[in-house]
Amino acid sequence: MRVLAIVPAFNEERSIRSVVAGLRRAAPAVDVCVVDDGSTDGTAEAARTSGATLLSLRVNLGIGGAVQAGYRWARDHGYDVAVQVDGDGQHDTSFLPALVEEVASGRADLVVGSRFSGPRVEGAFRSTWSRRAGIRYLSAVLRIRCGARVLDPTSGFRAAGRRAIELFAVSYPPDYPEPESIAVAARAGLRIAEIPVRMAERTHGESSIGLARSFYYLVKVSMALVLLPTRLPPGEETA
Amino acid sequence: MRTDLIPLELQVVSIVVLTIFLLWVMRLVRTQRLSLRDSLVWVVTTLLATLVAIFPGILVRAAHLVGFQVASNALFGAAILYLAVNVLVNTVASSQNAARIRRVAQECASLRAELEAERAARPRDAGTSPGGVPPGPKP
Repeated sequence: MRVLAIVPAFNEERSIRSVVAGLRRAAPAVDVCVVDDGSTDGTAEAARTSGATLLSLRVNLGIGGAVQAGYRWARDHGYDVAVQVDGDGQHDTSFLPALVEEVASGRADLVVGSRFSGPRVEGAFRSTWSRRAGIRYLSAVLRIRCGARVLDPTSGFRAAGRRAIELFAVSYPPDYPEPESIAVAARAGLRIAEIPVRMAERTHGESSIGLARSFYYLVKVSMALVLLPTRLPPGEETA
Repeated sequence: MRTDLIPLELQVVSIVVLTIFLLWVMRLVRTQRLSLRDSLVWVVTTLLATLVAIFPGILVRAAHLVGFQVASNALFGAAILYLAVNVLVNTVASSQNAARIRRVAQECASLRAELEAERAARPRDAGTSPGGVPPGPKP
């Protein structure tokens, strides 16, 4: 069972080293692949010296394009499971084995690490009230539109099995991809599961989604979920 | 040629402007700033507009056929629709290009990582090729 951790990072010089170290501690057998999305700081160098494989995008593609680069790497190098972990240190890497296990056991093709399923963990970050409302709305739209039951569809902490890796390598939404990619997977008939994880508040940098952008986020993702592609692209990547 | 539909001066000015426009498009193609394929739509529409400028009767008859009272309204309507379609087609092309750029950037990153892994596995070669020059074949 070969497992790859995909760590998308944009200007995460201060946190990338500890994220990679955390992954190594949590799962020494897992290969770590940092996707540097055209950072202008020392992210690439920090990733390289931390011992991770570095995928260096010379132009900033956004989170979707960066994560997809990781999935393509996983597909081309024969990994059985790929786990997405944010480079900003928000995701508690000690939950990685649990995510992998859910896929490895064959129970699901895509497992989402959720802040909202399961009992409330003490000291865990569950976002602000308005964001939780938005997340609940997206969760409802996903359930109605494509029958996927995911309580935390915006979570970028997830594990993908072979089928999901191959799907995402050719078809992954370029921006605000988390909820939409669940829809893509559900549409392709993949089994989707969710397990509780803990997330922290950001320690460095700023969230890529400010208040003003939240509205755009909801409109864009809603539209994407309504206008789901009628068919999967035959090998060619969609716009 | 029914010059009573529009003044002769306006007709002459239109034809001159359209001819200059057509020459500009052709120049863009010849200097390879516009591909021949993409220029065709501009050449054809400019020739059509020139035809209408020479024979304004075509436009009047076409406008009445569709139900426009005034030919100039038909002209504005058609022009706006044409431009809107044009912009949409360009946006589609731009989306496709964005997808291609994403693919190429991902592929580049992947190749670079593979090259680095290859070099790391053969440190002797890496040492003899500073500055990123790929190592040549071993004798």
